Amino acid sequence: MSTVHVEGGAHSGQLGKAVRTADGQRFLDEITGQRIRLNGCAAAAYGALYANVDVITAFPIRPYTAIMMNLSQFIADGLLDAEYLHADGEHSQISAAFGAGSCGARAYTGSSGVGITYGYEMYSITSGARIPIQMTIADRTLDPPGDFGSEHTDALCTRDMGWLMGWAATPQEVFDKTLIGYAIGEDPRVLLPQMICQDGYFVSHIAGEVEMPSIDQVDRYLPPFNLPFALNPEHPVSHGPQIHPSQGPPLQLERARAMENAMPIIRQRTDEFAEVFGRRYAHFVEEYMLDDADVAFVISGGHAVTCRAAVDRLRAQGVKAGMARLLWIRPFPTEDLQQALAGVKAVGVVETNLGLGGASYGGILSLDVTTALYHTPHDRPLVTSFMAGLGGETVPMAEFDWMAGKLTQAIERGHVEKATHWVNFED
Amino acid sequence: MTASSQPPGGGLPPTTVVRQNLPLFDEQGRSAAVDDVAGRDLHYLPDMPEEDPYQAGHRTCAGCGPAIEYRWTLKAAGENTIMAGPTGCMYVANSTYLCTPYTVPWAHTPIASGGSFASGVSAAYEAMIRKGRYKGEFPNVITMAGDGSASDIGLASISGALYRNHDALFVCYDNECYANTGIQTSPTTPYAGMTTFTPFGKAIPEGKSLPPKRLAKMMAEGHPHAYVATTTVGYPVDLMNKTRRALNHKGAGFLHCYTPCQKGWVYQTSMTVEISRRVVEAGLFPVWEYDPETREYTYFRPPIQRPVTDYLAMQGRFGHMLPEHVAATQRTANLVWQEIGMDVPRELRDLEDPERHKKLREEEYSMPLNRGIGA
Amino acid sequence: MSVRGTRVPAHLQLPIAGVTPPPTEKDGQRLFPTGNFRSYRPVYRDKTPPCNNACPTGEQIQKYLDFVKHERFLDGYLTILEDNPMPAVTGRVCYHPCETACNRKDHDEPIGIRNVERFLGDLGLNLPENPIKETLPELSGKKVAIIGSGPAGLACAYHLRRGGHASVIFEAMDKPGGMLRGGIPHWHLPEEILNAEIAKIEDLGGIEIRCGVRVGEDVCFNDLVEEYDAVFLGLGQDVGRRLDVEGGDLRGVAGALEFLREAGMGRPVKAGRDVLVIGGGNTASDAARSALRIGGGRARIVSLESPDELLIVDEDLEQGRDEGIEYVTNTSLVRVLGENGVVTGAVLCEARLAKDDDGRVAPQLVPDTEYEVACDTIMIAIGQVQRLDWLPDELAERGLIKTDQYGRVGGGNVFVGGDVARGPAMVVDALGDGKRAAHSIDTVFRADELAPPEPVEVMPYERLNHAYFRHAPRIEAPMSPPDERRRSQQVEVTLAYSREQAMAESDRCMSCGVCNGCDNCYIVCPDVSVQRDARENGHYGIRLPYCKGCLVCVQECPTGCLEKAPEMDFDEPDAVVRMETAFAPYDGAHAEQSAPIAMLIEDQIAAYDATRRESLGHNGDGARS
Repeated sequence: MSTVHVEGGAHSGQLGKAVRTADGQRFLDEITGQRIRLNGCAAAAYGALYANVDVITAFPIRPYTAIMMNLSQFIADGLLDAEYLHADGEHSQISAAFGAGSCGARAYTGSSGVGITYGYEMYSITSGARIPIQMTIADRTLDPPGDFGSEHTDALCTRDMGWLMGWAATPQEVFDKTLIGYAIGEDPRVLLPQMICQDGYFVSHIAGEVEMPSIDQVDRYLPPFNLPFALNPEHPVSHGPQIHPSQGPPLQLERARAMENAMPIIRQRTDEFAEVFGRRYAHFVEEYMLDDADVAFVISGGHAVTCRAAVDRLRAQGVKAGMARLLWIRPFPTEDLQQALAGVKAVGVVETNLGLGGASYGGILSLDVTTALYHTPHDRPLVTSFMAGLGGETVPMAEFDWMAGKLTQAIERGHVEKATHWVNFED
Repeated sequence: MTASSQPPGGGLPPTTVVRQNLPLFDEQGRSAAVDDVAGRDLHYLPDMPEEDPYQAGHRTCAGCGPAIEYRWTLKAAGENTIMAGPTGCMYVANSTYLCTPYTVPWAHTPIASGGSFASGVSAAYEAMIRKGRYKGEFPNVITMAGDGSASDIGLASISGALYRNHDALFVCYDNECYANTGIQTSPTTPYAGMTTFTPFGKAIPEGKSLPPKRLAKMMAEGHPHAYVATTTVGYPVDLMNKTRRALNHKGAGFLHCYTPCQKGWVYQTSMTVEISRRVVEAGLFPVWEYDPETREYTYFRPPIQRPVTDYLAMQGRFGHMLPEHVAATQRTANLVWQEIGMDVPRELRDLEDPERHKKLREEEYSMPLNRGIGA
Repeated sequence: MSVRGTRVPAHLQLPIAGVTPPPTEKDGQRLFPTGNFRSYRPVYRDKTPPCNNACPTGEQIQKYLDFVKHERFLDGYLTILEDNPMPAVTGRVCYHPCETACNRKDHDEPIGIRNVERFLGDLGLNLPENPIKETLPELSGKKVAIIGSGPAGLACAYHLRRGGHASVIFEAMDKPGGMLRGGIPHWHLPEEILNAEIAKIEDLGGIEIRCGVRVGEDVCFNDLVEEYDAVFLGLGQDVGRRLDVEGGDLRGVAGALEFLREAGMGRPVKAGRDVLVIGGGNTASDAARSALRIGGGRARIVSLESPDELLIVDEDLEQGRDEGIEYVTNTSLVRVLGENGVVTGAVLCEARLAKDDDGRVAPQLVPDTEYEVACDTIMIAIGQVQRLDWLPDELAERGLIKTDQYGRVGGGNVFVGGDVARGPAMVVDALGDGKRAAHSIDTVFRADELAPPEPVEVMPYERLNHAYFRHAPRIEAPMSPPDERRRSQQVEVTLAYSREQAMAESDRCMSCGVCNGCDNCYIVCPDVSVQRDARENGHYGIRLPYCKGCLVCVQECPTGCLEKAPEMDFDEPDAVVRMETAFAPYDGAHAEQSAPIAMLIEDQIAAYDATRRESLGHNGDGARS
């Protein structure tokens, strides 16, 4: 175990490795190897504790608040040495994390629902400045209606703002993705902020077992963060100057390149995670029963757990169903999804989000999925979008059965009935 | 390192955060903040630092007041400084086309993020030094926000930052308008100040009819543990010393600095510093310092008291004012004199009568200048 | 992958996220030479302060006050010595035209320049070694005859010596000093001070003073012209005008000038206990005050002039009044009364000062106003002349020598200065004449043409920036109490500034028109475009590639030494840099910036991968395909 400050590096502006508090070190040593029952919020907080974040910026909104409550307790108990900043609103919250990250601190923040949209200005700025802070999101329906329940619309609103964006389906995955997210985002080839999303309540407030690694495992996996152009008086630089319009295209191309550069890094870090921690995740797309499937659900987040069970039941009923769960939505895994769905005849996108007036007049996710499949080198499947699980409603097994029926009908008919179906409101 | 040499639990003890303590300049008889008991002349400045972290080659307008403030503040702060600049003319003009005049680290922030971004910077260095990641002294963290930013749009989140008492300095450079976007009214635009959002016309002859927001008082009253002061670019020693006092104060500081805008106010470029003295001498911008230890205000009492017309007549933005508007402005100034503990001379009291300003209508009012050159 | 196959042309290569390297303190942000904003530029152009302009010797008063303000007393003393060889004398007796001209009088009160000069002069006399001695050039071999060892002659000798020329001074009296010794009482100018200043000049070497030699009697003027390379006539006017009245030959009637001279030469003199001095000028004042000290009784000054017309310097008038001098103005002496050949009184009458067509004084008496007063002494102080019968007739007129505009006689190498050229005047005028003559003689030696002085621009009060000058009262020099001083010839009336007083008073100087290193221009510049290498005049400069011509520095210059000049007045290479476009200065400028930032990233990738290789045991490249 190495707790000695690492001096120097490629240039002398290099920041050293953060020490942990004595109590924190002792606590993590004690729980190493244990499987603790944690809900998604607590799992995220443990992830931040293991990542030994420097600055945490908080503002209360359900349901993600519990993450910050856990972290404030860690700090109060002396387990984590971090600046805990109670911001005056989400805009300030993200902005403060951005400021901390600009100095080379490992910064952590999060939000839910309208809190995410209140801070909207900051997303493009943070990614454009290439500051890899992490934001954990427990999804919540945007107002109206006033509603605590999960809906992915809040995070998906920001999908084109240049953040890496992934959904976790279980508390264990939330924990793991916290570490994986930093490992990807802080890679000097990437340098992008990450949104690590989980469904509100379905994941954030339902406990599952989470395996606690050793500090050594984390240190091996996650190197100290060093921002090459940090705001450091020893190596002054200016961030975010104004440009001439002619300078816009090359800078935007640069941002696009960063997002695409992240793809091989995501694969690499996912594999390394398996190597160090022993848990292997798909790089981008979790494939379930897809090898010989005729119909397939494309889904993200916690409803995948139900979906997997529904696929099992459909298979028992003789329907050749399968599931493709998207672990990352930004960058969108176009090639991986094309590969995963090769041979599938009809694809249903389970939205759990609202994209009013879009090309499909239903959800947001289907737009990306449809575009990816339009360009597939394999036979192009039929695609339709299912509006389900809105406002935090569950998506029960029966609804997956209904959706499979619609997909089967489309295969028989040779075309989809319509681009979007409102589940439960149609025959 | 052997296990036995480590503290219980195996962690290293946190590193102590070492903070800077900047010496103050001799302001005997030279500054706005002290009385001239020594009777010495004002014009011989003490030696200021050689370094200029705010360098030449920036595209502010000629005679830019905020540019003077930026220069003095950064001169006082020195090289161990990190600066944040919320959107405003001092963002756009200084960093145009991927250029930068700053020899210290600087970052643009959104217009509402001046306070929060600097909070993050300050928090980052607290944590990184404590956790052994950064080896240097704690840097000066300075945000310089325009008046639109600092007094609108959630006070640029500066209130939150002052409340949390980050070790940082928040400066409002106040040119009394949104200048960058083409001179729109801000909450600090004075009564009757013409802007493109408050033009004058038959129905609204005064242009702006609202009195300005008292930003610094709001900051001082609302955050009693913070160091708060006001100053202008008419008084270099005062501004630089207040910068240093705010930086030396362990915790948050707020400096409200009056900085004329030549384009927005329509005056001759050479008069920037003169106007900045005159506004104080006309009683329209009280200069004071709030001490969080004693919770007391110290007001600067200028050696000269002038009628407000000495100030108004220098600027095109007041050119439309009618006698009653001038009288109302004098009334405001007289209230300021009383507030800062100065007598209102009979002549100034008389000028609260609009009749006294009738000549403004009839004859051309000549600009009361000190001298004929440079103007 | 959308970015596959994309490439950015060289001139659009930009640093990551626009991260921009800093400018340097030395070069600024050179991508934007903002000097092209400018249509006027500030220029440092020192003017002449009114004090310097008013001083007949051309002392650089502002400069030495600035030195004193900064406690650089020796530099201040040396500054005076450039123009005036005897500051300890002028610091006591000068009628200070500089203070009369001082701009500060329009602000509050003029600077006490004479008192500061005296402070420096006394400091100089106390130096063990005369500091200018080592700066003197070798002697040129030229030798000048100087007639008269008064202030004009001494100044001429001094300045000639500083130009490398030797001189011989011929003095008719048995001690040198001319009117300094024979016209100014000791309570005004102590003898030892005068002796010390003269000794300092003699000590320079190459200057010989021959006392008791009267030109025209003991040596022949023409011989001097023959024998010497040049001649300077500074003989002054030491012959008192006589008043032709009834009883003027009684015992007890004397010339005031003669009275003062005898006293000055240290010979025993007497004055009665009730003295009338006839005249309205400074000689009358000095004589009356000396008589009071010697006689111990009463002294009255009887003048044609009204109180407003008196030619007595204001402070002398006031001091005299304090000492008990009575002023009987608008009055003429009609006749002197006597018994046994001795004065017993005088008849006076009311009168008015008038002049005839030739400018001669012609008193208008008011009829039927005659009255008698008792007195035992009457001194006449109605003007003075010089005996010039030894000069060729065409050169002399009414006791003065006629000269051209350069103070030259007959277009050759004979120059004139002091009272004998201009009529009775002040010490400092004579010192100035001596200096000018020395420079003219030097010019003649170099066979150059004499030229009138260049016109100067004098800085008026209105062009100062008054905001920087807070009102502060003048510090008056301490005085001996009147009771004490009226009892003795030796008690100096006016005393010296202390060191602190000298510094504080110098600090009041507004440095009109001359840079005094106040740093205002340096600090107020929004564009960091005023540079200085030291806080001294001449060490400030404008950074022309960046100065936008806002002229804040000009406005905030307290002294007005900065002024604006149209940019069109300047030619290449001094002219402003014009950019072709208001946008980025040249293609590829940012590509230059992008390289160091790209290097930062490359270095970081290497460091990052090294860390991972160490902890994982491989570089993980297998997964990157």
